Amino acid sequence: MSAPPVARPAAESAKEAPSPAMRSGPAPRPGGDPLIRLFHVSKSYAAGQFSLRDVSVEIKKGELVFLTGPSGAGKTTLMKLLFAAERPSEGQILVLGRNVARVGERGIPQLRRRVGVVFQDFKLIASRTVEENVAVTLEVIGVPPREARAKVFAMLRRVGLQHRRHHRPAALSGGEQQRVALARALVNEPAILLADEPTGNLDAALTVEIMDLIAAAASRGTTVLVASHDAALVRRYARRVLKLDGGRLVEDLPGGAPA
Amino acid sequence: MTRVLYQLYYFVRAAFAGLRGSPLTTGVSIATIAVATIPLGGLWVVTGNMRALLDRFGEELQLTAFLDSKVRSDQGRSLAAQASAIPGIDRVEFVSQEQALERFRTRLGGSALLDAIETNPLPASLSIALAEEARAPERVAAVSEALHQLPGVEDVAGGETWIEGYGRALRLVRSAGMGLGLVLSFATLLIVANTIRLAVYARRDELEILSLVGASRTHLRVPFLIEGVVQGAIGGAIGVALLFGIFHVAVPQLRDALELFLGWSDPSFLSPRNVGILVVGGAAFGLAGAAIAALRTRVA
Repeated sequence: MSAPPVARPAAESAKEAPSPAMRSGPAPRPGGDPLIRLFHVSKSYAAGQFSLRDVSVEIKKGELVFLTGPSGAGKTTLMKLLFAAERPSEGQILVLGRNVARVGERGIPQLRRRVGVVFQDFKLIASRTVEENVAVTLEVIGVPPREARAKVFAMLRRVGLQHRRHHRPAALSGGEQQRVALARALVNEPAILLADEPTGNLDAALTVEIMDLIAAAASRGTTVLVASHDAALVRRYARRVLKLDGGRLVEDLPGGAPA
Repeated sequence: MTRVLYQLYYFVRAAFAGLRGSPLTTGVSIATIAVATIPLGGLWVVTGNMRALLDRFGEELQLTAFLDSKVRSDQGRSLAAQASAIPGIDRVEFVSQEQALERFRTRLGGSALLDAIETNPLPASLSIALAEEARAPERVAAVSEALHQLPGVEDVAGGETWIEGYGRALRLVRSAGMGLGLVLSFATLLIVANTIRLAVYARRDELEILSLVGASRTHLRVPFLIEGVVQGAIGGAIGVALLFGIFHVAVPQLRDALELFLGWSDPSFLSPRNVGILVVGGAAFGLAGAAIAALRTRVA
């Protein structure tokens, strides 16, 4: 099966300054086989009404890609398709070599263990502590408790929350809660990180804080797809941008191009 | 293998966290199973004691086969030999007319009343002790029928009529108990299943998050099954404890009536084995309720 042609407009010159996270170390060059491939994917929730229409795209290992577009453009739908929360109405989706359109009930957990997801509303378990919230990712795969504790502690230190590990989410600020969600998504070192409007509920300072952590994950080799309608944020990080409008992929701007 | 063990550890931990986290639904499930255990266990106590009483009467049960007045002593002994070959008969003793009169005289305490009688009115008989396995009412009737077939046997007497009636009563109580048990079991199962379903709904956000990080259906469901087992076992144990209390309060009140009607005033509670069965049964109910709840609720 050969990949369909994917529109890649020529890069425009990047004038934006790179973010601090990008300056902090050399990012590995994205390359190799794509980790995510969409072939003519459409998603319809009602007859004749498409949330996504004929989207074809490839994302390579280590890429940090922004998914932009106005509300209702299909960003969240595309994200949901990638972690098998939804099935495409048409087309095929390959994530880490698995055909998500055909993956069975048993295959979904296997897929999700390699794909970290961060949501706008954090989705933390209110009754559990920060440490326990991050540990759930390791618990579901049966990581021994001692090893899990060590990994969780290291991850919380990476996001600067080791001192808050015994607190419950309600005691944390929005930015801290999103850092916990990010730690939960990354603690198992997933191949892919999906972030759906991760900074949508945060102020400007916290937005930079969270995005720097996400960019740092990409610099470690994780393939990252961030859905955001924040044009300033997209410009700041100057990476590849996929623009959706009315369910169609209308632009695919390579890294460094203004959105 | 070790991953599986650690997952089991996480399942158990999640189950106990769930029990602590939803005390109301946990309490309702435990109380439902406890309340259902009391009448079920109570019926078991009643039927168990009726059975024990029946066994006790059976132990004392003797049949008497009265012989025709024409049967001579040697024929009577021969009949005794034939009777002892009937299945279900332990031993047979031939009682001649003279022996019968002698026993009667002894029983009357040497009264002169019998001196007035010129002929011996008492028939010769076979005094029959039943084997243990023949003490059930239906077996007594079969033995009695077989004795009737022997030549020279005029009549067979014994406590079998009473035992038959009592046996029927026991069967009736057992059948009623089974019927009541079925209805109670079904109602309990429904209540427990719906209560655990409420617990599943209460934790649906948590389950959604676990599903998003890669928890399998097994991972989502097993903690609820463990919760069901724990709730059921605790409910069963509480039910048995309450029944034990009721038993010890009720028996002294009923002692006189039991003594009067049954000549017996010392009923026993359930054996430790049966207490264990009730507690395990409670756990099984909890498990079944949780399984129904987990299967009927889309948790992933």
